[in-house]
Amino acid sequence: METKSFPGTVDSLDSIREYAGQVANEVGLSKKPTYALKLAVDEIATNIILYGFERVGMEGTIEMSSEVVDGKLMLVIEDAAAPFDPLARELPNEEDLTQTLEEREIGGLGIFLTINGVDEFRYEFKDGKNRNIFVMNLE
Amino acid sequence: MAFTIQTVVEEQTAKMTLAGELDSLSARVFQTEIEKIANQPINELVLFMEKLDFMSSAGLRVLIFSKQKVGSHLSIYIVKAQELILDTLEKTGLHHSVNIVDEYPVL
Repeated sequence: METKSFPGTVDSLDSIREYAGQVANEVGLSKKPTYALKLAVDEIATNIILYGFERVGMEGTIEMSSEVVDGKLMLVIEDAAAPFDPLARELPNEEDLTQTLEEREIGGLGIFLTINGVDEFRYEFKDGKNRNIFVMNLE
Repeated sequence: MAFTIQTVVEEQTAKMTLAGELDSLSARVFQTEIEKIANQPINELVLFMEKLDFMSSAGLRVLIFSKQKVGSHLSIYIVKAQELILDTLEKTGLHHSVNIVDEYPVL
């Protein structure tokens, strides 16, 4: 499992999405799940960069790796920022999603899109690192 | 692909042509464009998205921001957005609050 490392800044998001797209292409995902994976990875990486690193003035890296296990693509993002479980946050519910733009709160949509777009999303804190795991079923 | 945005203001309509990928880095550029028109008497914001290939929630937040900043009288038109971007707008319910059209002016 080859690991790629990216500086933990918003300038890296383009390359982070490109990595996710390459991995998706290698395992033959079609256009829609490839986009969904890139979107999910972008959302989680953005949170790590903005809240894990930038907000606390920490410099860090985002490590990405992938492997195929039992017919599933597992893409993993690791970072050494403070523990943060994206699943611990309350997601927008049906009522939130039907509110007009004037009434909307601005947060929470990224995690919602992440969970909604991949077949499975898992979080764990292991060996001092956050591990965000994106699982896509292979066709 | 690098994000680009071009803005033209004609009377009470602001037209913005977006291309490339809209993530949390490029959303800052988009938001700055919205801030520039926020104090003008704009009634319609028309976003041409045919060449926009990617939009994260950071782009959605700028849409929400524009309505909250300019005011509830603002009508937002999204013109020729790609299928996967429309999918994001629908999943998040934002399609109820904007006008999704194939061309502008709407016939």
